[in-house]
Amino acid sequence: MLTRESGGPGHGPDRIAGALAANRLGAPSVVYFVMSAAAPLTVVAGVLPTAIAATGITGLPIAFIAIGLVLALFSVGYVAMARHMANAGAFYTYISRGLGRPAGVPAAWVAILAYNGLAVGAFFMLGVQTSALLEGWLGAAIPWWAFALLAWAVVAALGVLRVDVNGKLLAVLLTAEVAIILLFNLGDLINPSPAGLTLETLSPGLLFTEGVAPLIVIATLGFVGFEAAVVFSEESREPRRTVPLATYASVAIIAGLYALSAWALSVATGPANLVAAAQKDGPEMIFVLGGAHFGGVVVDIARVLFITSLLAACISFHNTIARYLFALGRERIIPDAFGRTSLRTGAPRTASIAQSTLALVVILAVWLLGADPIQAFFVGGATGGAGVLLLLFVTAVAVIAFFAREPGGESLWHRLIAPVPAALILAVMAFIAFTNFEALLGVPEGDPLAMIIPIVYAAVAVIGVVWALILRSTQPGVYALVGMGAKAATAKESAR
Amino acid sequence: MLADELFLIAWDTTGSGKPRLHVQGIALGLAGALLAELVMRGRVAVQDSLVKVTDGRAVDERVSDRVLTDMAESPQHTDVRTWLAYLAQRSVTEVSGRLIREGRLEREAPKLLKRRTSRYYSPDFGHAMWPRTRLHMALVRGQPLAAHDMALAVLVDSCGMTEIVVDDPAERKIARRYLTTVLAALPRPLSDLGRHVNAAVGDAVLTYRS
Repeated sequence: MLTRESGGPGHGPDRIAGALAANRLGAPSVVYFVMSAAAPLTVVAGVLPTAIAATGITGLPIAFIAIGLVLALFSVGYVAMARHMANAGAFYTYISRGLGRPAGVPAAWVAILAYNGLAVGAFFMLGVQTSALLEGWLGAAIPWWAFALLAWAVVAALGVLRVDVNGKLLAVLLTAEVAIILLFNLGDLINPSPAGLTLETLSPGLLFTEGVAPLIVIATLGFVGFEAAVVFSEESREPRRTVPLATYASVAIIAGLYALSAWALSVATGPANLVAAAQKDGPEMIFVLGGAHFGGVVVDIARVLFITSLLAACISFHNTIARYLFALGRERIIPDAFGRTSLRTGAPRTASIAQSTLALVVILAVWLLGADPIQAFFVGGATGGAGVLLLLFVTAVAVIAFFAREPGGESLWHRLIAPVPAALILAVMAFIAFTNFEALLGVPEGDPLAMIIPIVYAAVAVIGVVWALILRSTQPGVYALVGMGAKAATAKESAR
Repeated sequence: MLADELFLIAWDTTGSGKPRLHVQGIALGLAGALLAELVMRGRVAVQDSLVKVTDGRAVDERVSDRVLTDMAESPQHTDVRTWLAYLAQRSVTEVSGRLIREGRLEREAPKLLKRRTSRYYSPDFGHAMWPRTRLHMALVRGQPLAAHDMALAVLVDSCGMTEIVVDDPAERKIARRYLTTVLAALPRPLSDLGRHVNAAVGDAVLTYRS
C-alpha cells in the first residue's frame, strides 16, 4: 500500500502525495472504466433478447433490481476487505486470504474459465451482428465466422502489441451507447403495447417462481465488471473513498440502466408477447423496435455501436484473463513464462497468447461443427455468469472469514451485518443456478450441455484444490505466494 | 553511475534511439537505480519495504541531491513503493539529463504528435555499449561481480531486462543460473529494493488501463 498521510510534522501540503495524486484516478474515471468493460449495449441488445428467447423469462427488470441490491450488500464487505489487501486484484486473492490457499487456487481457475466463457462468447455475437449489418448495406452475405475471426485477430493483436485504445475514444463510445439505450427505452415507453405502461415484469413475485434460475444468472451476468473497481485501489486518489464510491455507483448505474431497458422491452411488446417477440427477432429485437420508432439511420448508428460495444467487451475480457494468468505466473502457480511481458510494450505476452489461442480453438470448433453462433454466445454468457455467481458466493464467505480473524478497524456493519446476509443470499442463488442448468441454458431435460458445464466447473475446482495441496507439500515457497499477484516478488522467502 | 548504466542498457542509444523496454518499466527501474545509488553511498537505508534517509549530507551530484532533498523533506513517506512511484515520474528525464550534461548522450525531441518519447543517441559507441557488454560477459562466463555490477544486475533483472543483456536464448539458462547465485549474495537492502522494483513493474501490468 502506498502511504498517503498528508503533511508530516511541521510540513506544509504534502508535495509527494500531491505529485502522485496528479496521475491518479477519481471515482468518475473508475466508474467509466468499469462501465466500458461492462459494455452496456452488449447486455441490452445482445444478452436481454437472447436470454428471453432461450429461456422464456420475463422477470429480468425486477431481477436486475434485486441482484443490484444483493451485490450492493455484498460490496459492503468486499470494499472493506479491499482496504486490508495489499493485492486487491481479483476474487481469488480475497478467497486465498479469507479461506486459505487451497480455496484460492481453484477460485483462480474457476474465474479464468468463467471469464473465458464471456470473452469467447462475445465473438460469436460480434460475427453475427457484423454480418447482418453488412448484408443490409452491401446486399452480400458474408458468413459470421469471417467477422468473428477478424475480431479475434484484432483482439489478439491489441493484446500483444498493447496499442493504446484511446481512453477518450472508449469514453465517447460508452456515452453514445448509453445515450442510444436511453433513447430506445424512451421510444419503447412512449409507444407501449395495448397493455400500456404495465409494471407486471417488475413484480417481485416473479423471483419466486420456477424460472428463477436463468433470471439470477442473466442478471448477474449483466453486472460482471463491477468487481474490477478494487483493482484500482492503488491507482485511485483516495482509495478509502474512491473505490467504494465507484463500486456502489457502478452497481447502481448497471441495475438502473438494465432494469429500465428490460422493462421498456416488456412495455413495448406487452409482457404476454415478450417471449414470442424475442424468439422471433432474437438479437434484432431492440433494432426492430427502435426502427419502428426512430427510422433506419438511428438503427444503423445503434447497430454500429452494438458492434463496437461487443469489440470493447472482447478486448476487456481478454485483458482481464491475461492479467489473471499474468498474476498467477508471477506467483509461479503456473509456469513463470506467464508472468513475463513483452519487452517493447510491457504487455503480458504469454498470457495474452494463451487466451487468444483458446478463443481461436472455440471459434473454429463452433464454425466447423456448424453450431448456432447465437446459441454459442448465450451458452458462453450463461456459463460465465454462473461461474461469476459462484465466485461471488465464495468471496462473500471469504470476507466473513477474514474479518472473523482480523476485525481491526472495521465496523460490525462492514464485517458481519452486511456480509452474512449477502453470503446467504448468494449461496441460495448459486445453488439454484447450478442445480437448474437446463433451464438456464434453455435446453431440454437431459441435454448433455447442461451436464457438461457444471461438471467442468467441478473438475476445474477439484484440480485446483489438488494443485494447491501438491504445491504445499512439494513447493512451499511457491505455495506461500498464492494470492499475492505481482507482489509475490516482495516475499522474503524467495522461491526462485 | 548506476542509473546512467541502466539507462544505456534500457535504451538503444547506438542504433534506433528508441527504448528497448517499455518506458514504464524503464522509469521504475531508473527510480530504483536512483535509490540504489544513495544506498550504496550510505545516505539512505532500505529494509524490507521501508526506506529512510540516514545521512542527509549532499553528495555533490545534482540528480542524487535532489532525490535526497525530497526524501529528507518528506520523512513521513517511508514506503519504498511510494518513492519508486514518485521518482518514476521524472527518472527518465533526470537520468538522461545527467548523461546529456556529461556529453554522453544527445536527445532528439519528439516530432510534433508523432511520438511520445524522445529518442536518445550516444556520441560514444564504446561508452554506450560497455555496461551491457560487461554484464553480459560476466553473467555468461560466471565471473565474479563487483558490488556496483551486482546492483546493476539485480535492477536489470527486476525490470525484466535480463533478456536484453543476454540476447542469445542459448546462453540464458547459464546466465540465469549464475544470476540466481549473484542475487543470493546481494546485500539485503539492494535485494529488497530489487524485489520492490519487480513488484512495481508487475503491478503496472495488472493495473494497466486499456
